[in-house]
Order: sequence, then C-alpha cells, then structure tokens
Amino acid sequence: MAVESEHWVFYFDPNRCIGCHACSVSCKQFHGRGSDTDDWRTVTHHQKGTYPDVEDVPLSMSCMHCHDAPCEKVCPTNAIEKRESDGIVTINRDDCIGCKYCGWACPFGAPVYGDDGLMSKCNMCLGRGPGGGADVEDTPKHELEDQVEPNCVSDCVGEAIKAGPQKEIIEEASQAAAERFRSGAVANGRVIVEPLQDSTSAVDGSVGGTKEVTTPYNAGD
Amino acid sequence: MSNQAQSSSGLTRRTLLKAGSAAAGAVALGGCLSSDDGTDSGGADVSKAFSNCWMCSHNCGQEVTVVDGSVVNITGVDGHPRGSAGPGTEGTLCPKGLAQQDKTHDPKRVKEPHIRKDGELQKVSWDEAFEYTADRLVSFADEYGAETFLDATSWAETSIFRTIWRDLYGSPERISRGIHVCAGPTFVTGGMMGVGSNNRVPDYQNSDYIIAWGRNQLNSFAGQFEAKGTLEAIENRGATLVTIDPQHTITAEKSDKWLPIEPRTDGALALAMANVIIEEELYDEDFVENYTYGFDAYREAAADMPPEDAAEITGIPAEDIREVARGFAEAAPRAGISVWTGTAQMGNGWKATQNITALNGLVGNIDRPGGLRLWEYPGTASFGQVCEQDYTNRAEFREPALKKYDEYSDYPVRHIEGIAHNLVPEMVDNGHINGIVVHHDDPLKDGNADEWVEAIEEMALVISIDAYWNGVSRNADIVLPEATSLEKDTLGTGNWSAYPKHKWVTGGKAAVEPQWNTKPDFDILTGIASAMAEKTDNDDWRIFEQWDSHEEFIDDQLSTLDLTLEELSSGEKNYELVEEYDYEKWKDNDNFVFRFDLDQVGSFAQAAEEAGMDTAPEWIPPGTYGDSTSDEYPLEFYDVRSVFFSHGSNQPHERLRDHFAKRNDLNEEDYRGNYLHLNPKDAEPRGIETGDMVQVESESGSGELMAHVTENARPGFVTAEYGFGETSATPDGEGMNTMTLHDKQMDPITGQVDRHIAVDVKPAGGD
Repeated sequence: MAVESEHWVFYFDPNRCIGCHACSVSCKQFHGRGSDTDDWRTVTHHQKGTYPDVEDVPLSMSCMHCHDAPCEKVCPTNAIEKRESDGIVTINRDDCIGCKYCGWACPFGAPVYGDDGLMSKCNMCLGRGPGGGADVEDTPKHELEDQVEPNCVSDCVGEAIKAGPQKEIIEEASQAAAERFRSGAVANGRVIVEPLQDSTSAVDGSVGGTKEVTTPYNAGD
Repeated sequence: MSNQAQSSSGLTRRTLLKAGSAAAGAVALGGCLSSDDGTDSGGADVSKAFSNCWMCSHNCGQEVTVVDGSVVNITGVDGHPRGSAGPGTEGTLCPKGLAQQDKTHDPKRVKEPHIRKDGELQKVSWDEAFEYTADRLVSFADEYGAETFLDATSWAETSIFRTIWRDLYGSPERISRGIHVCAGPTFVTGGMMGVGSNNRVPDYQNSDYIIAWGRNQLNSFAGQFEAKGTLEAIENRGATLVTIDPQHTITAEKSDKWLPIEPRTDGALALAMANVIIEEELYDEDFVENYTYGFDAYREAAADMPPEDAAEITGIPAEDIREVARGFAEAAPRAGISVWTGTAQMGNGWKATQNITALNGLVGNIDRPGGLRLWEYPGTASFGQVCEQDYTNRAEFREPALKKYDEYSDYPVRHIEGIAHNLVPEMVDNGHINGIVVHHDDPLKDGNADEWVEAIEEMALVISIDAYWNGVSRNADIVLPEATSLEKDTLGTGNWSAYPKHKWVTGGKAAVEPQWNTKPDFDILTGIASAMAEKTDNDDWRIFEQWDSHEEFIDDQLSTLDLTLEELSSGEKNYELVEEYDYEKWKDNDNFVFRFDLDQVGSFAQAAEEAGMDTAPEWIPPGTYGDSTSDEYPLEFYDVRSVFFSHGSNQPHERLRDHFAKRNDLNEEDYRGNYLHLNPKDAEPRGIETGDMVQVESESGSGELMAHVTENARPGFVTAEYGFGETSATPDGEGMNTMTLHDKQMDPITGQVDRHIAVDVKPAGGD
C-alpha cells in the first residue's frame, strides 16, 4: 500500500469559505444526483452569540477518505474499498446490501442511502454518480490520464477547498494547519483544516472535530 | 447538436496532470461518465463549449461539458475578468450560475409558443405566434397608440430589444431593473456627481481598506471577482474589511469591523465620517481644491453631524465612527466603498448615497489604485455603427407620459426619469400605458404588487418572452418561450472586473441546441420584426435581415476589436483583454469635476425643490419619504437577496431551493418558500419559533411565510428573500411575494422602489 503521505486528502479553510453552497450544488450536478437525495458534500452554518455579538461560521464537509476508514472495516461484504494507491474510498454497489453499518461507523455521516437502500458517497470525482470510481483501476488518481479535479474543489468560490495527495496539500497549508493535522488534533488527522482567524476556540474546535460533529440525519437509521 | 465544434482543448484546467492529447481527453471523459450500474458510456459524443453567465447578467465565464446534446457539467473559466480574481486564479460559478445547467434541461420551462384564444393560452407554431404578435401590435398601435406600449424587457443576451421596441415600434416608455427597482439613487447620484453609475464597484484587489456599505458582497456579488477580490485583498494586502449592515451577514462575519447600523440611517453615518475627516484634516486637500465643486456646502452639512449626534441616530458608538473614518481616510486613496442596493432601496436613499459618494471625493480615492475606479467599456461597435440600412426612429421625439401629462405633476421623479415602477398601475388607470412586453423578469414582485397584478389584467396587450410560467406569462396574450444562455450565442462586454487596467469581452457559441420548441431572444425578436415587415409593408422592419444569425451580428459588434465569436471562444478561455487604460483619467480631463453640491444640475435642483430637499449633502431621517413604524406596525421589514437565486428566474430549481432550505436549517420541513428572519427578541413575545408559519402585515397588504428565528437578525428589523410566492416562477407559488406588503413608497428623486415597510408579524392560522 502506498504510504499515507501519497493518499488523497481534503483541505478546508474556513476563513475563505463564504457559505455559498456552490460545492454542494456542483457535486450534485456532476454526479447527476437528484435534489431530494442527501448530499455527499454538506455545508453547515455554526452560529453562536447574541446580536450583535454573533459568530456564524460556515463549514463544508464530505467523506474524509480516512486513513483508518472505519466504514471499510465494518462492511460485511467488502463492498467498500480504500484504494491502496491513493486512499480514495469507493463503494461497489453490486456488493452493497444496504445494511447501513458504515453509516453508523462513520463519524462524519458521509455514507448516504438512496431510495434503493444502497450506500453512496463522495468518490473525490474518481468516477461519476453513485458507485462511480469503484471500477477505476487502482493507479493513483493523480497519475490517471485526464482525471478531473473534484468538482467541489473546482467550483469553490472562495477557493476554500483543496484536494490531492497529502504531501502536496500539506505543503500548501499554513504551518499551523500542518501541525494540527500531523498532531491529529483535527478530525483525527483526516482533513487538513486552517485555524479560524479572530475567533474563539469553542467555534474553532468544532471545525472538523469528531467530538462536536453529531451523526447527521442522513446516517444510517 | 449545436454548431459548436468539438473542442480541441481537452479538459483544460480540470486536468490535474499535464493535458494529454485532445482525443485521449474526450475518451477519458467518456470513460468517466459511467452510468449507475457501472457500464461505460464510451463512444458518447463529448464536447466542450463556453458561455458567460446571465443568471444575474454579470457574465462570469462558464465552461460547459456536453454529452450527446445534454449539458452534464458546468464550471468556471480560470482568469476570467468577472468569474475569477484575475490572472492565474481560478474561475468559478456560484450556485445560481451552476443552476444554468438545471435550467437548460428543466421540464418546467415554457416549451412551446402560446397565444390566447377564446380566453385560453394555446400552443401554436412559431410562425403563427409571430404573425399573431404582429397583428396584435398593429391593432394596438391603431387603437391605443404605440407610445402607450411599455418596454419592460430586462437584461438580455442581445442588444436589439431597444431597436425593436423604441426605434421601430416607437414607444418612449421603458422600465428597467437598474434605476427603477435596483439602485436608482446609487446609479443616478454617481452620474450627477461626476463618477458615473459605476460608483458602486471599487478596485478591490488593490485596496487596503474596503467598506461593504449595505452590501453582502461575499454572498450577493455582481460577478465573483467581487467576493474573490475582497478575499484576495485581505489575504495578500492585509486589507481591512468593514461591513455596515443592520444584519449579520457572511461579509460581516469576515470583517475586521461590523457596524450594525440602525436601518436607513446611513446618510447620517456618512456625514459624521466626513465630519471627522474634515475636522482632523485627513482629507485630500489637493483633490478637493482643484477637482471638486461645492465643498463649502458639504463642509457645513458635515459640521452639523458630529459623531456623537450620529451615534444617537445610527446606534453606532462615536468612537467606532471615528475609527472607521480615520481608517478609511488614512488608507486613501487605496480605500474603496462598495455600495449598491442596500443604501438605495429606501425613501431617503438619495441622500444616503449622495453622502456616501461624497466621501470618495473628500479623500480623493477617485480612479486611483484600490479606490473608486472609473471603469470603462470596450469599444465594440454599436447597433448604429454596424447597421447598413436606414430606418426611421419613431420614438425619438416622443415624450414619456410621466413628463407629458399633468396627472403626474406631484411626482418630482418626472424631472429625472421617464417612468417609475410604482406608478405604472396609475398610468394604466389613466390610459397612458395600455400594453407591455416583459422579457425574463417579473415586475409583479418588484414593488406595489397588488396594483401591478390588477394592471397586467387590465392591459390590452401583454407579451411575455420568458423561460418560465410566472405571474406575467400566465396572464399574457402571447407567450414566446426563450432559450437559456447555454442555448444561445452570447457576447458580454464588461467594465468592472478583476482587471482594473483592461477593457474586456467574453462570449461563447451555444453549447446545446435550444431545448424543446424554444428560441434565443435574438431569433424571437427578428421573427417578430419579419412578421411586422409583412404586416405593415414597412421595410424599416427588415433591418435585421442583413444578418443571417446572431453570431454574424456579434461578429459585426466585435469587428472594431478585430475579433470574431469563434476566436473568442475556441481556445482555453472565452475572454479577451482588449484595451488598456490607466488610472487618474481626470487629471487630463478639463471637464472633470466632482460635485459635492448638485445645484448646477438643473433637473435635480427642480426635483429636489419639489421634494423639499437641499441640493448639497444633508441628513434626511427615515420616514420623511415612505414608511415609519408605529404602535400598530412596530417592525421594519426589508427584503433581501440570497446567493441561490437571481430575480426569481432560477427559483423553480429544486437543487437550489433545497440548499436554500438547508442554509436556514429548515430542510426537514416540506416548505420551500422564502423565510422571515427575525430576532428572538421579536419572536418570543409573539410566540413564534423557527419553522412556524407566520403572517406579515403592513398597512396595505399581508402574506404568509415560514419564520426563521436567528441572532443574525437585528431586533426590530425583519427581512425575507424577495421573489417568492404569488406571481413567482416557482410552480406552487410557495412562500410570500414580499411586495404585496408594498404600496407606492419610493425615493422621490429617481422613483426607486423603497422596500422598507412598517409591519407587524403574528403566528399564521391562529394555532
């Protein structure tokens, strides 16, 4: 297996996120997913304080393609694969039985379930649509010919989202973000997050942190 | 398929690695497009095309992926003047721009031409629709006079609307979004004071101090360079961002300082800032001395507004006023004020924008890097220049009814403008307007809604050119289904952008054929013209026959720049920087003068006298014109925009409506209308919680919508997104047409709709 530093990770800068949901809309469009299906990439708004001392921080999140991928570990049919070459987590829907174990195992609510009862989630635009990417050869995404940048990255108005091999993305991050990522302080080292400027630690701590992220409505039920 | 040749550029920037051969690109993309069951759609006809976004008409570049005649993805163009932060930066699209993909294939679109027969709208062929339109236009002119036909066409992907309705049909009556329902005071004061109507867009990237004044420019931008440029200035230059807004917005969140101002008191704040800047001698003496007029009158007005007095009026502590005034003046000329609708859509909006614009003259940030740029358009050829045939201009000497008839002598606006949105229903009653053509717009939600609904019913001829069924098209005599911009050849000739020293053009050929039986607006208008030529035997109407297609017409427009549409849109990008221009143009312009006092502008002086206002900057309190809150209506209402929608034309799109609901944490509800945002301090005493349906009532109307209780809202000030509810394009009309609360409140100078309304709110339905 390729070393972790070559596995793909997402990067998020809450200071540059303007909460516009373009990432989420563009994901839906690229993957041809209906309006009424759950989002693979979600934007939430975290508000605290009383007018006029208000803070309102937008957060964009999707599947983290975790290095430890709890969804993969609990999948009874091995439908979920963490690709050896680039760490992108894919789902082979032919093997999915819709048991929703992965939905419960995932701390971020990334796996979502359609009317067909089958799981789908972000595949970093390795392929299109639910199950997309599962049939793509296990060559690192960045070495596949003409692979597209994840649409949420391309369409992020504030350029707040990045994606790519960890070693490349971490070089583009601030030192503070890199240190936090390496220390596992943010989301157990699953996503590189810039520290929120001019903000309180209470809000900052919720950014991608596993403790404060509640299992969302779209997790398995 | 369209006539768009398959792009030879492959995947351009979407390619993470170096681009492979073009053929390999197309094949790889085809391979990407596997269906749900994993089968490969290899062999699909994949092509790339370019367009520029018309959802809000601000032309952000669009790169479109087309598979087998359908748009499957749409994204931005890197380095695009409107859609990026400039050279070497990514171009993107906002949610409403992305929705152009959904709009193009939306089954809810108007798919066929319709005419009203026996009281019902019935599908007809285009030939029949054009012939019928010509018949009706001829009989309308005979019976009522062409001068009583109102051109209410909004922004369009072709410039020939004016030629058709004004020059050829002969109506002087024209109502548009800009001055009449968007930001009249901002546009018009800028022109009169000497800096033009682009006084609203500073040179963001080069600025050290940006004031977002009544603007949420990170979520409600006129081209994404605004949001991107602001973020770049903060990141690259360490610029200070100050937001002045009653609401806590995302722009307020990102700001170094947010001034939560009492609504409609912006004019007092601006004067107090001038007071500080003049008193502390922080102003640009050279500029004021040599390039301005009326400084004494301005100085007197400012002297009357010390920060302590302004603090009482605005709710902003005097120290904060001083801090921002000093920060702005010390950063000048690299200091810009971004201003648009927020300080314009109110009864005292004229003075607010005059006082704000005056600050620019005071600190001399005019046309200097990082300040207020005097943006320029590229030199494309006008219609007159490319037109090789003569025609009689029939509207040239016709006076609009507002100026012509005594019935309107009480309205000062008649000295400045030919029409005011809110007065159209009155003009219909008076028989001075008898018909209307509406393009891509819904005036029934732009102000005075109830009377407008009645006026549309009363009019003898209503023509709708639109993509959706809405309050106008449903009630029209003729409905002509319009193609979306992805189905048209387009040309955008911008000015303000991420390139402050370059004029630019952008464009693209149609990405896909018009879906269903729709047509681009150019083809619709030339179709009407040909039918009019037949019907009237007047060869003036044959003027468009010199062009076989919109592309030919666009190529003629581009001829002055030695460009063709093909050249513009067949490379890696679809824009060209065409001419360079420098800062400080006024230095070489003997005619340039920045006017603090407008007493030399005769039309304004007359309007101001009738309205009871001074020609120089002054403070005019809210309620002088328009609404005041009262015991019965203690809350101030204002309607706002959302990043998901532009003027209602993309509100039918489910993805956007769902995300709008998510934005307000109300996606679990079935409701998909607009929301009334109110502070807990106003909600709790009324027994209102988030998710409740509430009734909003003003003196002249009421409506129901869902409550969103939030600390982002200012106590005493409630807002809702406009464009929803009755008459909107959403199929179920869910939500509330905010302008049913509205009567005739307006800025007396420009007639701009005043959207601040005194209301009360209570739970709906009594349960």
